[in-house]
Amino acid sequence: MATNPMHQFEVYKIGPEINLGGVNLSFTNASLFMTISSMLILLFLFLGTKKKSLIPTKMQFVTEASYTFVAKMINDTAGSSAKSFFPFIFTLFMFVLFANMVGMLPYSFTVTSHIIVTFVLAAIVFIGVTILGFVKHGFKYLELFVPKGVPVVLLPLIVIIEIISYLSRPVSLSVRLFANMMAGHTMLKVFGGFVISLGLLGGWLPLGFSVALTGLEILVAFLQAYVFAILTCIYLNDALNLHH
Amino acid sequence: MKKIEEIRTRLEIAKNNLDKGEKNNESGNAASLGKALKISTELVASVVVGSLMGFLLDSWFDTKPLLTIVFFFMGVTAGILNVFRSAKKMHHK
Repeated sequence: MATNPMHQFEVYKIGPEINLGGVNLSFTNASLFMTISSMLILLFLFLGTKKKSLIPTKMQFVTEASYTFVAKMINDTAGSSAKSFFPFIFTLFMFVLFANMVGMLPYSFTVTSHIIVTFVLAAIVFIGVTILGFVKHGFKYLELFVPKGVPVVLLPLIVIIEIISYLSRPVSLSVRLFANMMAGHTMLKVFGGFVISLGLLGGWLPLGFSVALTGLEILVAFLQAYVFAILTCIYLNDALNLHH
Repeated sequence: MKKIEEIRTRLEIAKNNLDKGEKNNESGNAASLGKALKISTELVASVVVGSLMGFLLDSWFDTKPLLTIVFFFMGVTAGILNVFRSAKKMHHK
């Protein structure tokens, strides 16, 4: 039994070591749980859309609700011109949500508690949105860094500040998800450890905390997926409808 | 035929209830918590990015502590600007 609360975040390889041109491509427990999350999404959507009845079954209802939820979010934050990005946002939302939720199961591994995973997701969003902005508006997209009504003397300073603010987007997007997941799971483990070490006599209080924290963690798992998706929508909106 | 009629009325009632419920739930607890988490990281991220930029530029131009300090404060400014903008966006909603 591991008493170290950070032990749960350890990445180890499963099966043989694969080396391709000096790059370690071995299949790890992180890859395994990413695969599990993706498979669960496929299964969830497959079961939900198998029998398309007018009066939905429970499964079909949940699937349709997830569709409407994301579609409404895109429509509200990025406008109807962002409709064509629905598949991307939906994939992103479902992947983060399922990775977070699978991590809530005992003995599982939380993929999103590793910054490299969340940073790659955020970098895809960031690079994609930047390219989209330049394709859509050409060099006029750079106007994003030059707010209107600023005196010329202050302009160099403001432009640098705006660039920092723009570059901080992927960092804040990835750090938020990673920090929330890691902090939550560490806390759960710490309280779990308290239950063991305090024993039958004093272990009931931390056990109660553990139960409450599990509930909170499930809320945070959903919330972080939601925030990740909604911020992607906001960045998409900035790129599609340039205004400042 | 009668069954469909019945479902239609039940749907109508459910829809009405949903509309009423939505108005009360619009600034629900979960959404507020999400916004709070969003703002807190925005402030930190800009400071980190600013300092990192300053550090890299310092290594390029060989002006060791100077640009790091300047860009740190710019990062702080950018962070506050970000938070201010998010807060303003929330207010408009």
